[in-house]
Amino acid sequence: MFVDARQLPQDMEVDADICIFGAGAAGITMARALSGGNRSIAVFESGGFEFDVDTQNLYAGDVIGYSYTPIDRDRLRFLGGSTNHWQGSCRPFDAFDLDDWPIGPDALAPYYRQAQQICQLGPYEYDPQAWVDPEARPITASSADSLKSSMFQYSPPTRFGTVYRDELAAAGNLTVYLHANLVAINTNEAASSVTGVEIACLNGRRFRARARHYVLATGGIENVRLLLNSTRVQKSGLGNGNDLVGRYFMDHVYVPKAATVLADVSSPEVRFYDHHVVRGHAIEGIFTASDELRRAKQMPPFYIGFRVPTPAIAELGVERLPAPLRGLLGEGLAHSIEYYYSRTASSMQLPAKWLYEKMWRTPPGTFVTCYCTGPNPDPQSRVTLSDTVDVLGLRQTQLDWRLPSDFEQDMHRAHQQLAQLLGRSGVGRLRIESSETGYDPMQDVSNAHHHMGTTRMHDDPRYGVVDRDCRIHGIGNLFVAGSSVFPSYACDDPTMTIVALALRLSDHLKSLTS
Amino acid sequence: MSYTRRYLLTCLGYASGLGLGLRSATLAAAVSVPADAAAALRSLLDDRTHARALGGSYRAHCPAESNPAVLTRLILDALALHDSGRQPLQRELLLPAFDRRVRAEFGAGDTVQLRGWILARTEARLCALCG
Repeated sequence: MFVDARQLPQDMEVDADICIFGAGAAGITMARALSGGNRSIAVFESGGFEFDVDTQNLYAGDVIGYSYTPIDRDRLRFLGGSTNHWQGSCRPFDAFDLDDWPIGPDALAPYYRQAQQICQLGPYEYDPQAWVDPEARPITASSADSLKSSMFQYSPPTRFGTVYRDELAAAGNLTVYLHANLVAINTNEAASSVTGVEIACLNGRRFRARARHYVLATGGIENVRLLLNSTRVQKSGLGNGNDLVGRYFMDHVYVPKAATVLADVSSPEVRFYDHHVVRGHAIEGIFTASDELRRAKQMPPFYIGFRVPTPAIAELGVERLPAPLRGLLGEGLAHSIEYYYSRTASSMQLPAKWLYEKMWRTPPGTFVTCYCTGPNPDPQSRVTLSDTVDVLGLRQTQLDWRLPSDFEQDMHRAHQQLAQLLGRSGVGRLRIESSETGYDPMQDVSNAHHHMGTTRMHDDPRYGVVDRDCRIHGIGNLFVAGSSVFPSYACDDPTMTIVALALRLSDHLKSLTS
Repeated sequence: MSYTRRYLLTCLGYASGLGLGLRSATLAAAVSVPADAAAALRSLLDDRTHARALGGSYRAHCPAESNPAVLTRLILDALALHDSGRQPLQRELLLPAFDRRVRAEFGAGDTVQLRGWILARTEARLCALCG
């Protein structure tokens, strides 16, 4: 059942077994997994069914570190969250990606299989050799190669708020409160247990909620904001006794044109690395570090993909209008246009989108590479609070995103290895772009809109905010869902792992409430 | 195999504006070794003007090799064709040998970076030979 919280009586109190805050990929997954039993579930979503500028503006914050997408443009704040504009690439983290996690691949494997279905993907198979097609096959790496072929599967992409809306409406013992913003988390005097929360609507309506267990699923920046704003008992912020909340913020670093590749586009070994459809499922080959290179831990996880060079749609996630046009239109209208443009572009059916991209094709056989990496965790890369307060009385965030100093060096090194693989296999040649070639890729380095690491998972509270069950250390009934619990970041779109972890947390909460 | 080599070199010239490309016409039927070896190797490239751009970078990178005789010898040594006695350098002989060698060099990491391009050392030397 959906309820417009703006219409609720002032100061009413919601009682539930489990309260979930945020209805994005994690929150909706948990709501679906937990509903239908005899436990009551309440989900509180800041937005409604559609994009709304005033609600979106609640994300506003400052960027004080490396250049980053404006925080209020980076994620979406309505039912479905940022799945409303994700592009759908999926790949489970591998064993190397989970080296620094307190849980291993076996703990996630069954949930990844479920996540595969939830994200509307094909069979749970990520071995490129299983996707060989007469017209597209991966380059076979030798044991001497430092790179190997890997692959993404593509979700339609699943818009969680749209695809699962009817199911949420019909689910038993589940109420989704829309336009309901969490503004305070209250605890007992020892800050060992949450005793209740306060909810506010933009129309001034306020009420409270109480539950046995609480789950923050509001995203890697908002989770931090909510914890750090909760200072009534723990002055440094809830769960922040070791000054870790907000630290280790990381986003995947994305370079849209790191190198130029010349290759025979008709070759099956090249086509595998372009978007294509195999047995009805959209996939794309990529290059990742070999197992040996991963084992040596000399480089952070990365992937390199091929892209047809395009002057447009360089970034589907968030588009920005030119500043003068923004000034003419006004912030609200400009923001709406930016959102709907991005949404439309990223909602195009994949074959149509790829066709559009191919219309811009420059010399035949020419590709650019995109490079994406999940740098090693850095405690100085962090989210803190500014002194600016929003309309609901919460201090806004400031983001200090830091790139590792050896980022460019690693990117070059990865491309040298790719050049060797392409040359050895006779597939193509590669030019590393730099100021020497007339284009410096570093000028277009961007974030991938994945907020991770800010409430990282670790068994020891000195090194992590949540434990292996995603429970905040020291607080018995407060949990975190989403990519903020990632202690390391892999190089893949986090959605599939977010969903898998949400399913795992759901099972844990079921065991606690059965 | 030779098609791939031709395609790649053609593309290399096309996209980079370097104009590299294997000569489509039949190579001279026979080139004696070693006297005409340099010419035989140079004749693999259709547009030497643009190859010189990369070749110039290589010679600057490796001044000790900035000599046609040295480059020819190094390439022939690499292709293992210098011992072919009095056999003329045939196109059919050159191309697969060149392809094998270049792949092997990439596999061994024996590459050079010229103006951003990562090339096998022997193909870089071939460009340098055009200078």
